[in-house]
Amino acid sequence: MPWRWDRAKQSLTEELQSHLKIAIAERVARGEDPAQARAAALREFGNLPLIEDVTRAHWGGLWLENLLYDARHAFRQLRRSPAFAATAVLTLAFGIGANLGVFQLLYAVLLAELPVSHPEELVVVHAALTPFDRDWAVSYPAYQRLRASSPEAPLLARAVSGPADLELPNRAMSKPSCELVSDNYFSVLGVLPAAGRMFIEADARQWQSEWPAVLRFDFARDTFGSAQQAVGQHMLLNGRSFVVIGVAHQRFLGVTTGYAPDIWLPLALQSTGGFNAGFDSLGPGHDVTLGKPWYNQPTIFWLDLIARIPHGRRAASAAKWDQVFGPDRVLMTEATADQAVRTSLLHTATELVPLSRRGGMRKRFSVPLMLLMALSASIFLVGCLNLANLQLARLNARAQELGVRMALGASHARLLRQIVLEDILIVLVGSASAFVLGRMASSILIRWASSHGSHLTLDLHPSLAFVALGVALMLLSLLSFSILPAVIFMRTTVAQTAGSRAKVSGVAQTARQRWRSNALLIAQVSLSLLLSTMSACFAATLVHWETVDVGMDREHVLSVHVDMEQYRYVGEHRGDLPELYRRMQERLQALPGVRSAAVEMCGGIHCGWNTALYVHGRSDLTNGQVHGQEDHVGPDFFSTIGIPILRGRDFVAADTDAAQHVAIVSRSYARQLFGDADPIGQWVGYEPAPNDHKFLIVGEVADARLNGPEHDAPPMVYMSIDQNPAPVHSIRIRAVGDPRHLSDSVRQALHEVDPTLPIDEIVPFATELNGDLGTEKLLARLAGIYASLTLLLVAIGFYGVMSSRTSRRKNEFGIRLALGATRANIQLLIVGQTARILLAGILPGAILSVLAVHTASHFLYGSVSANSIAILAASLVLALAGSAATFIPARRAAFADPLQSLRSE
Amino acid sequence: MTENPKYQNRIELLQGTLDMLVLQALVRQPMHGYAIAQMIRNRSGEVLTVETGSLYPALHRLERQKWVASEWKLTESKQRAKYYQLTALGREQLTSDHQRWLQLVRAICAVMEPEVQP
Repeated sequence: MPWRWDRAKQSLTEELQSHLKIAIAERVARGEDPAQARAAALREFGNLPLIEDVTRAHWGGLWLENLLYDARHAFRQLRRSPAFAATAVLTLAFGIGANLGVFQLLYAVLLAELPVSHPEELVVVHAALTPFDRDWAVSYPAYQRLRASSPEAPLLARAVSGPADLELPNRAMSKPSCELVSDNYFSVLGVLPAAGRMFIEADARQWQSEWPAVLRFDFARDTFGSAQQAVGQHMLLNGRSFVVIGVAHQRFLGVTTGYAPDIWLPLALQSTGGFNAGFDSLGPGHDVTLGKPWYNQPTIFWLDLIARIPHGRRAASAAKWDQVFGPDRVLMTEATADQAVRTSLLHTATELVPLSRRGGMRKRFSVPLMLLMALSASIFLVGCLNLANLQLARLNARAQELGVRMALGASHARLLRQIVLEDILIVLVGSASAFVLGRMASSILIRWASSHGSHLTLDLHPSLAFVALGVALMLLSLLSFSILPAVIFMRTTVAQTAGSRAKVSGVAQTARQRWRSNALLIAQVSLSLLLSTMSACFAATLVHWETVDVGMDREHVLSVHVDMEQYRYVGEHRGDLPELYRRMQERLQALPGVRSAAVEMCGGIHCGWNTALYVHGRSDLTNGQVHGQEDHVGPDFFSTIGIPILRGRDFVAADTDAAQHVAIVSRSYARQLFGDADPIGQWVGYEPAPNDHKFLIVGEVADARLNGPEHDAPPMVYMSIDQNPAPVHSIRIRAVGDPRHLSDSVRQALHEVDPTLPIDEIVPFATELNGDLGTEKLLARLAGIYASLTLLLVAIGFYGVMSSRTSRRKNEFGIRLALGATRANIQLLIVGQTARILLAGILPGAILSVLAVHTASHFLYGSVSANSIAILAASLVLALAGSAATFIPARRAAFADPLQSLRSE
Repeated sequence: MTENPKYQNRIELLQGTLDMLVLQALVRQPMHGYAIAQMIRNRSGEVLTVETGSLYPALHRLERQKWVASEWKLTESKQRAKYYQLTALGREQLTSDHQRWLQLVRAICAVMEPEVQP
């Protein structure tokens, strides 16, 4: 298009030229003198460029030509100030990108609905809280009755089954996560297949030779190439054969935000024993057999229920289910001897909670994400303020040029358009980078927020809201750093300076202009003080949790996570396990650099069983006293992991299944159960009398933060793994020095003992503990990045403003120096200005910071006053950055030759 | 860059009439701009002088309306020049313009010289 336009323009010029030539030739032919003929023809012809312009106006599209011309002009202007262009593009890329990145997460966690039709009709059925885990899970028989009682409100059930071993021909084994779901799971939710079909009723049959499986879209694509190719594939999961019958719609990631199962399997698979789910029960001794199928056991609670009911009919369904669930509530009261708990359980009413308003992710991340969003908004604001200030300084430097152009007849609007066009170019480039950066940021943020070993999966499809926010920020930035400064500038400055060189290069900056740029700087300083303070607080919090005394030796312990939930370790082989553990321990302890080793049932943090202990001879204990957490460990566990034994003894080899069953309690559990009395020698059991004397307490150990450094130490009871032989999930090894050096020798040693032992990973205990600090890490890292960015921006701002100011006052400084001022005086003069601005910015910034620290106190370790020290530190850093940025122009001004400065007058 | 009001006014003033004159000039044969201006000037007995600043905008306007077509050719004195030619559409336009013009002239005459009327 521009090419055609140029050709037309050329052709017009040639046409007019030829007109002129013919006219001259005619006059010459008539006998005129060539020189005179030319002059006369030109006179007759008129203003050639003007005629071209007027003619072109009749082509239409002149505005486009002007726009292209202005765009070219703008581009040239930008090329002349690459520093400004680069600063602006980077500022916008980071400022907008940060907001987009955080917003995408916020949207996925808090705002996004399930990608199905009428997601608002889906509700979670809260029938009763389970006795120990306090979950909303029900048994399979209860689910069947509830589902049968309400044909009008379809009810689905699901249970998270965790990772399974996936074997495919010619492929390394992997561990996709699985979810067990009822046959109507997809139909009730309204999830459409991307390929194949979803579950139907026949898929729920027990004991099939080949089980059906539905895959998540991304998982199917990564594993089999595409959704279509995945359908019909055969695979082995936990040793059983499966066929892929379908792939769910691309956007469907399951019903729990953050957790996306790779494979959905029929609920009936539980009966095969290969796939177990998280569960709660009435506790041991209550007619619970975990090893047998769960479908006919009303005392194992493992199913989450979701129903699809339009809003108006919810009360009726809830009432009906309440009635049907009555017997189950009565059954559940057997789990406790606490009369108050029993009564409240019997009086619970079934609640229907909208599916969208649920989820641990939401609870965990909503406030941190809001905080991050606020921080991101501030950094955007700081960026815009900074650019506005730079823009004003830049326009001031161009005042004379713009003035001359206006004097020559350029219109206000046209000049404005040219200035804004320059910035539109910047904003476009900046925003394009911001979109890319934002998408990248989201995935990085998710990685930071994920806990060790459980990666969050979120739907990051750009939503309409995401794009709208991007465009809005784009326009906002354009308005604040380009249009507004340009309009203000054109209105006030250009008219005064038009054509007057002396005014521009002299001390022409009015008090009002100075005040304006000072105000912008002050606002920047306040906001960046806020960001720096928050960053310091979050960093201090992270460091605190990473170094807090967890009651264990986190620096010298290596954790080996093994997967022994396999046939050769369970069932009739259980009895061989203590001997295997003893050999592992012996072999590991023989390794150089190993102090001790021990096995543990728990495979990480947050994994103790919720349990209850009843004290022999005491029937007055409440739920709050009897509930605690349980772990099964081998001998030497406490010395290996660094938990001191306070009283009594450790487990020993003599504690076998045949001997008296013993238990060791932690300090807080002992206090809960026995007050200040000595726990050693007390008898406890899982049930109230008469079964309350199964275990003899032989030891008391110190409390330890087994649920992660940021959580309080739970009341723990440890049982001997040898007396309750079961597969372990961890082997802990205490090293003399850095435990990481031992990884290889440990792996080798374990394989010498059991060549087929499946080792999932070997990690330092510290990594495992710190892996739980997702929220803290997210906040600390992001706030840290923001703080350094704003410091940089503030430094750039001070440098820019002070440089342009000192160069304006060059003459003044020259005179001052000539009159006897020292160079130190001059430097002090300039640095003093910065100091005043800093002070004016730090005061409101400190108030803002105190408010912010107060709001975020839930995520910060330490009191508000302790965190206020961070404000001081941040102010200091800010003051240093500002002064350093001013020092360069101040030095330049002070060390300029006064003669040189005065001569240029 | 900004359009000069002087030229703008003149175009406005001659619009319609100038277009008709230009079209009429092209009735017999294709011509370049200079020749068109000369022809109008000569035929009007030097009364009507078409300014270049009006002529070329008019020519380009007529071309855009597809009433004339243009082509680069050599003049007799071997000078490259852009020749304009009347199109069929232009011929129709000329006829209707001419009709309207005659009507206008008759009407004006009737007002100004009532005794000449039959």
